[in-house]
Amino acid sequence: MASTSSTSVGSGSTVVTWVLRLVVVGYLFFLIGWPSALIVRRTFEGGTQAFTEALQDPDVTHALQLSVVVALCAVAINLLFGVGMSLLLVRYEFPGKRALSALIDLPLAVSPIVVGLALILVYNPRFGWFGESLDAHGIQIIFAKPGMVMATTFVALPLVIREVVPVLEDMGDDQEQAANSLGANAWQTFWRITLPGIKWAVVYGVVLSLARSLGEFGAVKVVAGNISGETTTAPVLVQQKYQNFEQQTAYAMSFLLVAAAVVCLVIVALLRPKDHKPSRATATAAIQEKAS
Amino acid sequence: MSIDVSGLTKTFGDFVALDDVTVSLPTGQLTALLGPSGGGKSTLLRIIAGLDTADAGTVTIEGREATNLPARKRNVGFVFQHYAVFKHMSVAKNVAFGLEIRKRPRAEIDKRVAELLELVHLSQFRDRMPSQLSGGQRQRMALARALAVEPTVLLLDEPFGALDAKVRKELRDWLRRLHDEVHTTTIFVTHDQEEALEVADEIVVINDGRVEQVGSPDTLYDKPANDFVMRFLGETTDLAGQTVRPHDIDVSMSPGVAGSTPGTVTRILRVGFEVRVTVTTDDGAEALVTMTRTLARSTGVEEGAKVWLTAAKGATAVPVMRAV
Repeated sequence: MASTSSTSVGSGSTVVTWVLRLVVVGYLFFLIGWPSALIVRRTFEGGTQAFTEALQDPDVTHALQLSVVVALCAVAINLLFGVGMSLLLVRYEFPGKRALSALIDLPLAVSPIVVGLALILVYNPRFGWFGESLDAHGIQIIFAKPGMVMATTFVALPLVIREVVPVLEDMGDDQEQAANSLGANAWQTFWRITLPGIKWAVVYGVVLSLARSLGEFGAVKVVAGNISGETTTAPVLVQQKYQNFEQQTAYAMSFLLVAAAVVCLVIVALLRPKDHKPSRATATAAIQEKAS
Repeated sequence: MSIDVSGLTKTFGDFVALDDVTVSLPTGQLTALLGPSGGGKSTLLRIIAGLDTADAGTVTIEGREATNLPARKRNVGFVFQHYAVFKHMSVAKNVAFGLEIRKRPRAEIDKRVAELLELVHLSQFRDRMPSQLSGGQRQRMALARALAVEPTVLLLDEPFGALDAKVRKELRDWLRRLHDEVHTTTIFVTHDQEEALEVADEIVVINDGRVEQVGSPDTLYDKPANDFVMRFLGETTDLAGQTVRPHDIDVSMSPGVAGSTPGTVTRILRVGFEVRVTVTTDDGAEALVTMTRTLARSTGVEEGAKVWLTAAKGATAVPVMRAV
């Protein structure tokens, strides 16, 4: 304890510092560390054999594949629309902009189950708004991949936007205007100037979306209809296996899901350059300049 | 041939940035748009560049109607106050940008970039990133980038505004010399009258969205169209209903000259070689007189002394127009 007293004012504050640290560490341990560690421990309780066996179950491999495909589709869609929406929100003025900005956060606020139900109401082949006509053309959305992709996309919608918008705001439109005056058209400006500027925000948003999409349970469970072996994603299967007393398989899949998330975050931490944030000073200066 | 702006009006909500501005900016010259902050000069520049659009009026660049032309087709070079460097590109890449967009052959681009970096004295920094450059170097790079596309007109928006005083002065001299070499029609915005007087061939004084006066630095200084221009281009003081320069006032210790204004010296401030004398005239107004230390000593001006003030012969004077 004496070693930290150099950074604090008195012995009283040293105690406070240590108590605060203990609280934070304890909080993180009981909430995140211990449960995650238990998953890992249970997975490898009987050595790696149980783990590899669990992964040979065709249900498991199918669910994992499905999860990956659905997540990748959802991320691709969210990437495209996320970047587009961010540009719209930051660079353009239009009526209803604040309402749109608030609406984008809706998926974070609404329970995923409700999202699933809402999608069923619209696309159900028997009584949904579009469902009947789509079904007549042989397009099935609910209880099939398109519905699962839609539900996942909906749930992960704000993640790319919320990462990209502050960086775009920080960046200002000076560089884009300069590119414009040098003869670049909108596409060239986006590709050569805007995108490199928001690159890390986009990567971070994509990774967060990927992690969120892989783990989505509620919304997907509702729209997937749980056609066993067909529309069961990894998180849904974890629940099924657990309830069917196949705990070992459930742990193995849980471990994989946790590992995927951790790998995602580690990759981002490694990729992300230390000075990727543009200085706030230049951004404020740019605003002042516009005001003059 | 020139840049002709006619009937230009621009409002931001209730704020009138430009109010029916008509002005012609001559080809091949270095023109300053001078005025106080918020006077509309930057807006005018941005409209000429196509970065903003006017509510009404037309812009013609070298005889070519440009009012509805997008910025990228106007062939103007624009230099921003805060440089607007492309942060993720090296110095050479920044300068090459406009040429790469125009799909010029690689060899030509390399040659032109080398020439321009030579011109702005940044050759040894060609592979650096902008974050490794000082403010003055960044602005020179931005200038080279704008010149690379051989613009019809070079527009600079408070180009030295973000730099410290010493670098600003260096770059100002350098811009003047550069213009004498390159001869591109250049328009720059500034609120610094000294900068405008020192660098520009022609000055357009803009205030409250209107053009107050257009003319050479000497014309503006010697024959200001009104007391705003007079006040903006240097220190002024009011004496007997006239706006005059404080150094254009003769101080006499006796009421010798007809029409002189009597008063009492209330404060004397010495700054180096200069002496600033505040005189309260008998009608209660305050006048500021500046003179050299030598003159002050030989006249015998001191606090409390009774003096008579006259505008010097040939002094620029404008009737006071606004109630103070």
